Amino acid sequence: MIFLADLPAPSRMGDILMAFLSIVFEGAPYILIGTIFSGIIDAFLPAKLLDRVLPKNKILATLMAGFLGLVFPVCECAVVPVIRRLVQKGLPLSCAVTYMLSAPIMNPIVAISTLTAFKEFQGLSWATAGNATMTIARLSLGYLVAVIVGLVVLRFKPGQVLRASIANKIAQAEAADADDHVHAPAASFNGKLVHAMRSSMRDFLDTAMYFAIGVVITSAFNTQINQSLLNAVAGNDWLAVPSLMGLAIVLSLCSTSDAFIAAPMTAFSMAAKLAFLVFGPMMDIKLLFMYSSVFQRKVVVSFLIGLFILIGLLSGPWMSLVQHLSIKP
Amino acid sequence: MSGTRTLVHLLSVTMLLLWGGVLLYFYISGRLANYLPPDGIFRPMVLVSGIGLVVLGLFNLLTMGAEDAGCEGHDHGHSHDDHDHDHKDCGHDHAHKHGDCGHDHSHDHDHGNCDHDHEHKHAHGACDHDHKHEHGTCDHDHDHKDCGHDHSHDPAKKAGCCGHDHGHHHAHGAEGHAHGILEESSWPGRIAVLLILAAPLSWAALSTPDRYSSNAIVNKGLYDPNYTDTSRAEQFSLQNKPKTAANAAAVVTAEKVADLPPAKVTPAAPAKPASPPPPGVAVASAANAETKTPPKNIPPPAQASKSYGTFSLEDLKAQVPQSKDGNFILEVPELYYTGGDVEVQKVLTGQMVETVAQILPEKVNNADGHRLRIFRMLVQCCAADARPYSVPVDFGKKAPEFKDMTWVKVVGKMGYKKEGTQTVPIIEATKVEETTAPDNAMIY
Repeated sequence: MIFLADLPAPSRMGDILMAFLSIVFEGAPYILIGTIFSGIIDAFLPAKLLDRVLPKNKILATLMAGFLGLVFPVCECAVVPVIRRLVQKGLPLSCAVTYMLSAPIMNPIVAISTLTAFKEFQGLSWATAGNATMTIARLSLGYLVAVIVGLVVLRFKPGQVLRASIANKIAQAEAADADDHVHAPAASFNGKLVHAMRSSMRDFLDTAMYFAIGVVITSAFNTQINQSLLNAVAGNDWLAVPSLMGLAIVLSLCSTSDAFIAAPMTAFSMAAKLAFLVFGPMMDIKLLFMYSSVFQRKVVVSFLIGLFILIGLLSGPWMSLVQHLSIKP
Repeated sequence: MSGTRTLVHLLSVTMLLLWGGVLLYFYISGRLANYLPPDGIFRPMVLVSGIGLVVLGLFNLLTMGAEDAGCEGHDHGHSHDDHDHDHKDCGHDHAHKHGDCGHDHSHDHDHGNCDHDHEHKHAHGACDHDHKHEHGTCDHDHDHKDCGHDHSHDPAKKAGCCGHDHGHHHAHGAEGHAHGILEESSWPGRIAVLLILAAPLSWAALSTPDRYSSNAIVNKGLYDPNYTDTSRAEQFSLQNKPKTAANAAAVVTAEKVADLPPAKVTPAAPAKPASPPPPGVAVASAANAETKTPPKNIPPPAQASKSYGTFSLEDLKAQVPQSKDGNFILEVPELYYTGGDVEVQKVLTGQMVETVAQILPEKVNNADGHRLRIFRMLVQCCAADARPYSVPVDFGKKAPEFKDMTWVKVVGKMGYKKEGTQTVPIIEATKVEETTAPDNAMIY
């Protein structure tokens, strides 16, 4: 145990370093999980398997991809390396984007943390399930937005959306299929394992680099900007939603914990909190950089703007709708 | 493996060991206690992933020479080292072909990045050689039919000098090796990546103070308390726990009422507790805190609040430890949450309480300078989401001077005052003395 006396005195820079480390400690384990997965996918998953499993109809496949988070629950740090690899393995881009956006929300861990934070957990049963307003609204809006974005992405070619290196690998994988030549040939298990671990190492470093940039910026915002300033706009319907989404960008919270931050903001409407909880897991400073490891910069910026507008417009009506449906006279 | 690749591989392993080492160091030294909560999986995850990173790094170090089932190990039949191909001589522009395909061809042109020897291309005088045969197990398909640009240009059109198929250039950028950013970059790029990976983490690990300065605490909302908050009330509210089950349903009801815009308030039917919550979960307290003191912009709750349990001095004594002098020893968040609960306020008003916290100047309702503010940081998932929970301490006269952030033991009489829209819990101090920091500076 190191005694406080040995540590540097607190300072503004110390605040940033402290916030940086704490987000790294929270996020790095999940990045590692995601990259180990991605390495294993790279080495062991036959390229054609995804084609066989997913529906041929791409719209149907996109709709299904939105639910994958229920089966493979990941938070937003872990999902980026995984989809990066899945796309290279032939997962249709629209499905990948939908999975990427929905998995950090449409996921049992996040559902439980939201229920807990908003006190919707206790006394929950099938009869009163409709009363879990925030949880229902969050998961359903997250799914809807992810599917909408996925369907929009469907209209683009991978080369228009993905980074060059990733798009190249897709082209290569397709060509490999055409040749009926499997990428990782009948290699020994050991050889595949070596390949998987090398992929994991590279994916971890790639993802961690973007993560580190994002976390540096976010920890500066997190500690250097007075967050009470937000309360000035809390009562304004027009400003509350965008300002909480702005806070979500700045704070870069993990989707498993952000509900606990949103719940105490009593000054804000439920709609604004919903926007915070749906937008945050899909876009924030660290994700802005992490997405750049997969997508072209203009696409990442389009995600930022598009999600901001889409969720900003939908959160109000969506919250009203869910509240309306849940209230039994 | 070429020299460059070996070096990049070793640097990658070093980065993994650095990240893993920092995680393990903070876990083993116990300093992690200042960053992540003890319950839940956050701390064990740091240990596991620290070990995982070190193992992954060592695995890759030990298998550095091993054959990769992908195509890492293949050699392309040419040296990866010193490439001296000279595309200037080709007399054609590599850039103009690729405008539309949406991926970055820069690696083609910047051959500083590229470890492959392209020389063989030029050595083949004939235009129609097939590069495929050279690539061993790695299937470099050179047919980029989906790139949207045409690679099948006629070599004859190309100034007649090299006539090689440029398709293979692209394949080299993506040749199925799991090339990461370190492999694909040029040396300046690699150094930048290594710096980003190593510098902030090492700097933070070496010079983090493990605690926030007053600046961050003010920024995180010190002077913006909301005593009617219920987010962690189940943990800190003083409502008596045995009555929990009976009131379970009231939580849902109360939340519903509170969440609705005023126009739509319909007193929800008193739902029956469908399933009693697990014992020990003080749910009712949340509802109480929410409804008993109607905060601003929340409509007066339905009569439901009457059904909540009462709170007596006996309950307080049963729950809260007392010091030798009979002071109730409470944490600041517990005092904070009493601001939302009139029943608890009735009991606690006038009682002597004792708490340990950090001190900062008061900036709210403190025109006469009689007050200071004491706070504790409450962490949800990591120190980045820490928020100060604070109450004012009133001295009844000019407040004494304390160095900012000093840990103090405060003894005083509890009082409640309506200030602005909130009922503020105030400690009327009888004794404030410097003390040592508790083992856990953060409350989780």
